[in-house]
Amino acid sequence: MAVMRDMIPPFELYQPTEVEDAVRLMRQHGDRGWVLAGGLDTFDWFKDRIKRPEAVIDLAAVDAIRGISAGEDGGLRIGAMTSLTDVAESADVMDRYPLLAEAAGLVATPQIRNQGTLGGNIAQDTRCWYYRSGWPCYRAGGNVCYAATSRAMNREHCIMGASRCVAVNPSDTAPALVALDAEMVVASTSGERTYPAADFFIGPDIDIERMTVLKPGDLLTRIDLPAAWPNARWYFEKIRDRKSWDFSLMSVASSMRVEAGMIQDVRIVVNSVAPYPVRLGAVESAIRGRAPSEETGQMAGEIAVEGARTLRHNDYKVALMRNLVKRSIRDAA
Amino acid sequence: MAENVIGTDISPPDLRAKITGRARYAEDFRAEGMVFAKLLLSPMPHARVRSVDTSAAEAMEGVLGILRADELPVQSEGLREGALTDEPKYEGEPILAVAAVDETTAAAAVEAIRVDFEQLPFVLDPLESLREGGPDAHVGGNISAGRGELGSVKWPASVFEEAGADRLPMGEPATEWTLGDIDAGFDEADVVVEETIVHQSVTHHPMEPRSCMAYWQNGKLFLHGSTQSTERTRGGVARMAGVESEDVVFIGEYCGGGFGSKISGAPIMAVPAVLSRKIGRPVMLRITRYEENYIGRARAGFQGWAKMGFRADGRMTALDLYLVQDSGPFGASDLFTAGTVATASYQPENMRFRGAAILTNTPPRSAQRAPGGAQIVAMLEPLVDKAARELDVDRLEIRKINAPGHDGWLGPQQGQFTSAYVREALDLGGELFNWEEKRQLSGQRNGTKVTGVGMGLSPFTAGSAGRDGLLVIRPDGKLHVHQGIGNLGTHSIADTARPAADVLDLSWDQVEIVWGDTSKHLPFSTVQAGSQTTHAHTRANHAAGTAMLGLLQELAARELGGSPADYRVADGRVFRAGNRAAGMDFAEAARRAIAIGGKFSGGVVPEDLNDATKAAVAGLAGEGLIAAARDNYSRGGSVYTWVATFAQVELDVETGEVEIIDLASTTDCGTVMHPRSLAAQTNGGVFQGIGMAKGQRWVFDPKWGIPFTKRFYTARPPGILDVPLSPRFAAVNEPDPHTPVGAKGIGEPPVGAGEAAYVCAVADAMGGLCLCRTPLTADMILAELEGRPRPYGLLETHV
Amino acid sequence: MEFLRRALNPWGENVPIGVSWDLIWAAVIIGAVFVVAHALLVPKKVGAGEIDESEAKGLPDRIQRHKPGARGFHWTMSVTMFVLLITAFFPVIGIQFPWVTIHWIAGVLLILTVLYHIYHVFAKQDIRNMWIGRRDMKEGALGLQAAMRRPVHRPRAAKYPVDQKMFHHAATILTLGAVVTGVLMMYRVDNFLLPQNTYMFSDATWGWVYVIHGVCGIGLIFLVIAHVYFAIRPEKRWMTWSMINGWITRERYLENHDPERWAVTEADGAGEMEGTAAGGGTGQPALSDKA
Repeated sequence: MAVMRDMIPPFELYQPTEVEDAVRLMRQHGDRGWVLAGGLDTFDWFKDRIKRPEAVIDLAAVDAIRGISAGEDGGLRIGAMTSLTDVAESADVMDRYPLLAEAAGLVATPQIRNQGTLGGNIAQDTRCWYYRSGWPCYRAGGNVCYAATSRAMNREHCIMGASRCVAVNPSDTAPALVALDAEMVVASTSGERTYPAADFFIGPDIDIERMTVLKPGDLLTRIDLPAAWPNARWYFEKIRDRKSWDFSLMSVASSMRVEAGMIQDVRIVVNSVAPYPVRLGAVESAIRGRAPSEETGQMAGEIAVEGARTLRHNDYKVALMRNLVKRSIRDAA
Repeated sequence: MAENVIGTDISPPDLRAKITGRARYAEDFRAEGMVFAKLLLSPMPHARVRSVDTSAAEAMEGVLGILRADELPVQSEGLREGALTDEPKYEGEPILAVAAVDETTAAAAVEAIRVDFEQLPFVLDPLESLREGGPDAHVGGNISAGRGELGSVKWPASVFEEAGADRLPMGEPATEWTLGDIDAGFDEADVVVEETIVHQSVTHHPMEPRSCMAYWQNGKLFLHGSTQSTERTRGGVARMAGVESEDVVFIGEYCGGGFGSKISGAPIMAVPAVLSRKIGRPVMLRITRYEENYIGRARAGFQGWAKMGFRADGRMTALDLYLVQDSGPFGASDLFTAGTVATASYQPENMRFRGAAILTNTPPRSAQRAPGGAQIVAMLEPLVDKAARELDVDRLEIRKINAPGHDGWLGPQQGQFTSAYVREALDLGGELFNWEEKRQLSGQRNGTKVTGVGMGLSPFTAGSAGRDGLLVIRPDGKLHVHQGIGNLGTHSIADTARPAADVLDLSWDQVEIVWGDTSKHLPFSTVQAGSQTTHAHTRANHAAGTAMLGLLQELAARELGGSPADYRVADGRVFRAGNRAAGMDFAEAARRAIAIGGKFSGGVVPEDLNDATKAAVAGLAGEGLIAAARDNYSRGGSVYTWVATFAQVELDVETGEVEIIDLASTTDCGTVMHPRSLAAQTNGGVFQGIGMAKGQRWVFDPKWGIPFTKRFYTARPPGILDVPLSPRFAAVNEPDPHTPVGAKGIGEPPVGAGEAAYVCAVADAMGGLCLCRTPLTADMILAELEGRPRPYGLLETHV
Repeated sequence: MEFLRRALNPWGENVPIGVSWDLIWAAVIIGAVFVVAHALLVPKKVGAGEIDESEAKGLPDRIQRHKPGARGFHWTMSVTMFVLLITAFFPVIGIQFPWVTIHWIAGVLLILTVLYHIYHVFAKQDIRNMWIGRRDMKEGALGLQAAMRRPVHRPRAAKYPVDQKMFHHAATILTLGAVVTGVLMMYRVDNFLLPQNTYMFSDATWGWVYVIHGVCGIGLIFLVIAHVYFAIRPEKRWMTWSMINGWITRERYLENHDPERWAVTEADGAGEMEGTAAGGGTGQPALSDKA
């Protein structure tokens, strides 16, 4: 069997208009079905004929999961199919959750943000190029991680959270949502479940073939943001090789409540250092009650990189993570 | 009087079509009964096909035919590349093609084919191949021995041991030349600097992949393709299809970028051409981005070493260069240009050039916008800065000290330049960029950001002579300029026509350009490469314009009395000097020319025309007043253009990220033909060069020999946000005295200038520390700043 | 159902990457069918054997069948085996948890117990106790006929009945297969014992390593099912108890074991937990087989 790429094979297209129909179709087709949101992750897979579902369930017409509305207790509800542009440019999001607006606005390009959805950005697959090349690695059901070998090109890969697979989570919005303590609402034919954002992402130690808790038949329908901390400070930064259409080499998101010059509460999340967004619990505990200064940031950075394990080409990520965590505290505004 | 059309901004005739989407590129064409082809690519970097089982594919409904390598007129053998091969020498080399009623079927059919490959040893790194017992890219050799023959170069282990990990091993060179006495040059030097430097190989990634469609009618091949040249593509296509040139009609009105990768056709064009003949149906081969990554050519990379000696006054006394070239599977000539280009920057008093061009199992190389030139400029300019710091000479000044004047010389033959306003360009750049003030910012820290300023001076060849121009004044009264050159996206298709209008004092709206289809009778032209076009075809069209002027005067004298010298031409009329009413308009002239025939309408042509032009004139004969002429103007030496680019960057010491704050470029490219286009060309080249230095990558897995940067988002050519929104530009605008219009080419030199300015500015921000490699990505910079281990070995390539 | 999972490697070659996980269910189903069929078809014979009192002379009440070392090995191995099987197969069938580290640590423990066992067998026990000779085969054949309710009398066994020996050998092969391949696979996971060396073998060879590991693991599922089943069969419980407390009664000994083939002396009394007791058996089975 010769390999063919860049040519989408045929599939059955379903375009439900209701969530119930979508999840029923998803259940009906199981792992032979594929949920299509904006298509930015999907069509790469399809074009390379690596993922070849029989049925594609296009969510574009499911209006109930698009749009931004007020949530309970002063929070905000964002439908999973809301475009990244709409998230980045929403007055509500910009006003109350500028961290998320910033993160969404740094995704790829304007065209991709117009087409790409928040749900898709959160649930997207890793961009490890060994995996994306269709090589039979662990994540693809095989028995090897090509990226962890001694001669592998793994500058983009992880420094923590690896378990056989060393791919990283590429999402820009995921760390922001974890830092905002968002909740992910997931529908399936057996009802609706809710996950704290931090628990929504899973590592290869749990399941090497998935990045999130979503299994065939599960549909991420909504992201609920709790009421924002009053007077919260925040920081988001995405490091990448070029300023548009690029996945992050690393990103950091922090949300901080500062009173009387001291950090009262804080959430710091770093992405693209592990197969999932890493919330820095130990750092958060260590810096509560301290001033958000250079010194605190320095200390936080040192704690953050404890236990980091580098691959052949990604040692720089240790320094980068240390510095980004420092900035996320020192430069939060 | 019509305004002078040279030196003003115009809208080229293809602009509206491009913006509105009406422009039809190769893959937009359809023909009756057209079917589609897909390629089966080699999965291995070096292999031999043992057997192919196509039975399952052939049994599929809608599959019309399969083309194998042995059915092609030009077969892959040794250093000669075929469109298809049974001994692939890089992962992704096409093995066979399948034609089917649609692409879906063709793709499924390719998947159903079983190919049994015998895996052969492969090599990605030239230095590996140079080791005793190291793998060779070909069975039987690792270097071109000339005349298409393979040779072998191996260096003893001692060469590698001596060099260690951080210095280029320098064994017996395969090519070498010397000027003066290199040792004496270093003896004379007050400061000597030396570095091992790596310049990456990098793919072209034109926006339009090399799709092509072919069909046959009555033994004639019609081929729609995407190339930089038009008239000069026909011969190549004919060879690939195994027919005579006159049996080929090549159509390519638009080209979505070539950058040297589509100079005169592409080997892959043979596939639809031959497959179409085989199955008797028009065949469209749409090349995908993925396939373009493989067959779309790449710049040759260098692993190099340079040593420079300078006197205290800043003059370069010696330049010693050693370059190992990554030539891909079929060779590249960048190496041979690099040394020559270095002389055009520095005029070293003594010089030695050594090198070896080693074959590797990576996708094929070809010229890429300043081949050899951009690399060597980006590799050497940081060393000049290093020396300037040690000498305490200003960095702009040291370049002026060494730059050639009009009496300068070029390359090992030490030929002369037609003109060299290099110091003028440097001075202009210094003013435009405000170098005096900006250099004070060097090393200044603002928060976590450090400012660096740098500059790069980049020369490259920019002209040629001896092509033909062909003009027709038709009964519509317009001047039809037949352009054999291609429309590669640079506006040269329009700009080189302007001298003809200028000679005839004709307003631009009375000019029609005929291009992009060899059945439209196109004259002999240059290939669109080496930045020749502007120079060569302003000359050719100037010659043709002058011939047309003579014909008009002669025609008027014959028809209206008097001598030709009594007549003037302006505004679309030929008339008696001092009496505009006594004459005729161009429409009338055309009608009379047709009526008279002979030399006025193509019946008699100058003997010195190229055969292709003679055939074109013969095809047009009787359609109007026809003037064809060869460019017989004096050559006067090597035509070179210089670009100087200045960059100000901010380096974030906590992330390694670099932001370009300001960019300014100047050039000596002779007379400015089209200011807006010239600025766009220059800035585009500068950005392309910055891309090579900053983040564009070509990464291979060393174990499997397979590249990963197969898409735009992984290859990362620069985007518009990676450069300042308003880069500045100015031209010296001094005419080259050896060409009638004074214009030289601009396409290539900006690349090295942008790339060098960037790497020099980054080195400046790092206190003068040269990391001496491209790409120079944030991770490498951060590792260096943080004192962490370098992410890559000093000589490592494809990172 | 496919036997292998296959994939195209980076060079487009079709290579095995592991055993088909469908075989897990095959093993479970075959194990269940075997258990049910056996439970329904084979009569439960509890302590009905007749004892020749003359043989009982000079025998202790309790006879040591498994020394503490052997029991320790058995139970350690059981625990590691269960851990290995659970960590290997639960995630595959959808019960997900971080299993890799537990799995390889359990594997290392298993290797240590196996090494101990090998040492123990050679140093402290008689390896010939596990030898399957002609009399064992005859015993097995007659036992099989008896199980099929034929009117034959199954002869008494040596120290270990032939079915136990066969189980042991099957378990040995599968465990060693899993252990050897498992050690190789440690070169592919992050651990502090062995350096990562992904490309130690060609990918096809690696594929077969994974296939063997999978086949052994899945085979062990079947063996464990059968083993647990027999351990709780009423007529075999005395053997299960002996694996817990080490001894069997004189009656069980005489009822099930042929004193010619497993000669027991005073010294084999269960009171002596350690010592040279095994000496009693040395040489005897071989002589017996000759007889």
